[in-house]
Amino acid sequence: MSHTATNPLVPTTTAHDPRLAARGLVKRYGPTTALAGVDVDLGEGEALAIMGPSGSGKSTLLHVLAGILVPDEGTVRLRGRRVEGLSERERSLLRRGRYGFVFQHGQLLSELTALENVAIASMLDGEPRASAQQLAAQWLATLGVAGEQDRRPGEMSGGQAQRVAVARALVTRPDVVFADEPTGSLDQATGQEVMRILVESTRAVGASLVVVTHDASVAAWCDRRIDVRDGLVVAGQGPVCGAAPVAGVGHAGTTSVRTTSTAQDRVPA
Amino acid sequence: MNPVLALAPRFGRATGRDGRTTTALAIVAFALTTALATSVLAATLGFVERAAHPTSGVEERLGDTYVLLAYVATVLLVVPLLTLGGAAARLGVARRNDRLATLRLLGATPREVVGLTLVETATQGIVGAVAGTVLYVALLPVWTSVPFLGRTFTADELWVGPGVLALVWLGVPLLAVASGAVTLRQVVVSPLGVARRVRPPALRAVRVVVAVVAFAGFVVVSMFLQAFAAAAAAILIGGLALAFAAVNAIGPWLLGVAGRRRLRRARTPEDLLAARRLLDDPRAVWRVVGGLSLASFVAGALAVVPVLAEQSAGDADTRLLMQDILTGALLTLLIAFLLAAASAGIAQAASVLDRRRELALAHLAGVPTELFDAVRRREVLGPVLAASVGSAGLALALFFPLFGLAALTAPQGLLLLAVSLGAGVLLVLAATESSRPLLRRVLADPVVRAD
Repeated sequence: MSHTATNPLVPTTTAHDPRLAARGLVKRYGPTTALAGVDVDLGEGEALAIMGPSGSGKSTLLHVLAGILVPDEGTVRLRGRRVEGLSERERSLLRRGRYGFVFQHGQLLSELTALENVAIASMLDGEPRASAQQLAAQWLATLGVAGEQDRRPGEMSGGQAQRVAVARALVTRPDVVFADEPTGSLDQATGQEVMRILVESTRAVGASLVVVTHDASVAAWCDRRIDVRDGLVVAGQGPVCGAAPVAGVGHAGTTSVRTTSTAQDRVPA
Repeated sequence: MNPVLALAPRFGRATGRDGRTTTALAIVAFALTTALATSVLAATLGFVERAAHPTSGVEERLGDTYVLLAYVATVLLVVPLLTLGGAAARLGVARRNDRLATLRLLGATPREVVGLTLVETATQGIVGAVAGTVLYVALLPVWTSVPFLGRTFTADELWVGPGVLALVWLGVPLLAVASGAVTLRQVVVSPLGVARRVRPPALRAVRVVVAVVAFAGFVVVSMFLQAFAAAAAAILIGGLALAFAAVNAIGPWLLGVAGRRRLRRARTPEDLLAARRLLDDPRAVWRVVGGLSLASFVAGALAVVPVLAEQSAGDADTRLLMQDILTGALLTLLIAFLLAAASAGIAQAASVLDRRRELALAHLAGVPTELFDAVRRREVLGPVLAASVGSAGLALALFFPLFGLAALTAPQGLLLLAVSLGAGVLLVLAATESSRPLLRRVLADPVVRAD
């Protein structure tokens, strides 16, 4: 490991090792440096917001953390295991099996129904179709879109489609959920509702969450937030990473998450 | 000039890599349509000329029959030709939907948006028609090597002349514009863009009307031609036309039924996706395999020709006629397979480009590329096999009573049928696989912002 120096903005973990740990990430596109040496730790069950203006490198950071892009320098460890050097195929398997994704829009397969879109994620993991669809139906019910299960993405509203996308991201019980501007194509109220569902249900399955956004009200739902400018982390806020979410108190978002959480928001057993 | 229409050349230059791919595909399709349509027309005119000015006794005796058979072949190929031309036009227009929706939001009138796109489509049609003419000339040596009525056509006989060429150069762009205009209706309806893949309205009644018109056309054509010395031939051809119409009318419906069955039985993600794509638009799938179905039906019907030839061993004219029918049928089949393959290739490329965002995002989320490859194969193989083997089987069943068990005593016909069907199916699959590199490029492309 080439970069072991600690960044003051990313405190070393104490009680828990981070679930996802990145050190010294550098990513260049030709003459442009998108990431200029970034360290990130993501704790067990932690929700982390990555903020920054357009062109700051925040999406590149998400892609490198998620194994979509390979960094030019630096390391990414998932539960202590290095993943940045895996082959394309291994990274695909990693993304499919251990990660979940929520994009801005257009990620649902347009010919499949909502139910099938969720079910296909577990079918890819080897789940038989019948039980995959059963599980998918439970998830859709939990996220409040049971009535949409036979509709196709083109027939749903943006908010409904994002709920289905959240269900699809979580149905495989991933270690980490990556969300890239998940509310980017939604109005303010719907966006807040989708964030509530995303944060609560991710926490309920014990997954960690990384949200890339330029919207502070979206970032406020997360336990912690880092700001990226010109490929560097320039500011961090929130508790020490690695702290279990139950221990996180007193920062934006968390309190309201907890108070609005009700029995019906819990994921299916 | 209208300021929006004046943008046309700029858009032509600024379409990027996908735009260039679709433009090239559309032009190739228009060129193929032009070349094969002109060749078929040339052969038909060649037979008309031979019948009008026979140079031998056999040409005098059989000339009119050959003209009739040439018309049959032409009619058989009209649907696949129109399908390919239409697919090319749709491809060009569909790819421009996003840009056109933006233009509408910016305040361009529907008329301007339609005009802008149709100018581009017509340009592609013209370029394709010119390229197709070159291809037609290049193909002349192939057609002039095939003997009919005891001698091959000369290049001179198969040269359609400037009049027909001018008609083709006008007709292909017009066809392109007409198909494009139909596709464009979706964009123009709403400035807020196009609902992706709305379910197409039921067109069953229209299809039946078309079938009836086609059948009536046959009757009219055959009445004009005084060639019906052999009334049996008329019944045979009329029966064929009716069967085609029936197959064409029930084909999409059958595909829909098959799709629902596949959906129920699907166990793997690839089965599920393939079934859903088939159900999504059975008509579009039928457009690809429909031509194949007609050609296979002909091939099935002609598998009995060797039996006929054997039965009429004594008559030299009949032997020649049977031999030439077989040759002509094989040529028709070859052209139909080429057209079906090109349509299938274009349809797959369009499907990849239309779904580029969802495919790329699914890939980012870890869906393996191989899944999409498997879906494509399943999506095409089932309908192609059903259309070709099913139609050929139907023809065999229809004609079996006519020739009875004699068919079984002349297995070379059935062998020829099996070989040509196998080759045709492989050709269509190969054309479909040609979208493989395009899929990989789309998946490798970071659709998400590079920021």
